[in-house]
Amino acid sequence: MNSSEDLLKRLPNDIGGMPAEPISRIEHELAPWEKRCHALADVLDFHKIINTEEKRRGVEALGAEMVGKLSYYERWIAAFANILLQKGILVPSDLAHKMAEVEARWVTHP
Amino acid sequence: MTKVANVPLAPPKPTLVLALGEEPVFAAGERIRILMRQPIGHYRVPRYLRGKAGVVEAVIKPTMLDNEEEAYGRNAGMRRHYYRIAIPMTEIWPDYVGSPRDGLRIEVFETWLERIEA
Amino acid sequence: MNHDHERGAHDHPHAPISADQAPGYYDLMETAVRELLIERRLIGADEIRRQIEVLDSRTPALGAKVVARAWLDPNFKARLLADGRKGCEEFGISFYDDTQLIVLENTETVHNLIVCTLCSCYPRPVLGLPPDWYKLKPYRARAVSEPRAVLAEFGTHIADDVEVRVSDSTALVRYLVLPRRPQGTQAYSEEDLAALVTRDTMIGVVEVNTPPERPN
Repeated sequence: MNSSEDLLKRLPNDIGGMPAEPISRIEHELAPWEKRCHALADVLDFHKIINTEEKRRGVEALGAEMVGKLSYYERWIAAFANILLQKGILVPSDLAHKMAEVEARWVTHP
Repeated sequence: MTKVANVPLAPPKPTLVLALGEEPVFAAGERIRILMRQPIGHYRVPRYLRGKAGVVEAVIKPTMLDNEEEAYGRNAGMRRHYYRIAIPMTEIWPDYVGSPRDGLRIEVFETWLERIEA
Repeated sequence: MNHDHERGAHDHPHAPISADQAPGYYDLMETAVRELLIERRLIGADEIRRQIEVLDSRTPALGAKVVARAWLDPNFKARLLADGRKGCEEFGISFYDDTQLIVLENTETVHNLIVCTLCSCYPRPVLGLPPDWYKLKPYRARAVSEPRAVLAEFGTHIADDVEVRVSDSTALVRYLVLPRRPQGTQAYSEEDLAALVTRDTMIGVVEVNTPPERPN
């Protein structure tokens, strides 16, 4: 069954039973931003601004390519941004300006 | 003395009636099948289990929201039961490598199940 | 990245910061989203800080305490198996994420293993954050279809007459495996027993190591 329907019928995260490689015992200490991202998820769910299930759906909605290429917390923050924009809590220019402002705080030594 | 006619008492009070969703549709021990639906959108019943037969191991209490609706921002709505379902591995995978005793457990929302009639 | 993780949690203007390396794109996005939500008073700055502390306070040592007590106290074990969350709450382990907990007891006839094929559901309130391998495709895809091969990759071999039972979390219930108490631990204190219980034994990929012989 190789029709386009499969793209809709199977979510990119639904991988139970698919063939896969041996398990590589990867572990990494979370980067500070990743830990903040996890805390943000919990706080957003607590307030029901974005509940946990919405986050899951938001990650799925990134689509197979992004789900495959973005790391775990990269998927979360992208999903949060998308959902906040969809809900009209933020508009794209808010996010663009704020990201530029945050970036401008960093002065890199040559 | 004439016996008093057997006058009926007031009608008996109705037995307690449960509200919509209060009563689990399925009971522990019942054979069920996970539906073969293929919806677009968010789902929490993995494809590898669609159409598989199993047994209700336990009714999860209390009733909870449909997580497929929650995913679209509904933080309230009708609450129904989830069920812990037991399915043998050999039922799921035709070429299962392992012991025939091996099994899987998964929580499934009420609307994804149907009773297997004997 | 060597900036203080709390830097972005304040809402006063920032002076320029020197660093070896500017934050990456996603790091910038996280800071921007968080600051915008705080500015709009949708979340509080303290809440993020506090939740980081909550996360840091949840480690496998909590689960290990619960396991050790269950090994020693049959009444506690019965309560734990009847309601995993209530059992953990006896230790003050709160379930901040609204999930329930089912504790799965390993016995001589059943060996339990937990997975979340769809994402990364994991008993975070009692074990902390899951390891990367738990969240990646190889484990999630194969634990439900070839659990014994997966166990073998962790060095675990379960006899054929023992059921390997895989629980796939998909909703609000989380799982914690109650591993078997190893032989040779009759004289162990509760603390000694807890020290034997690692995170991976409570996921179910390994059994608790039988300790080497030691004098009574």
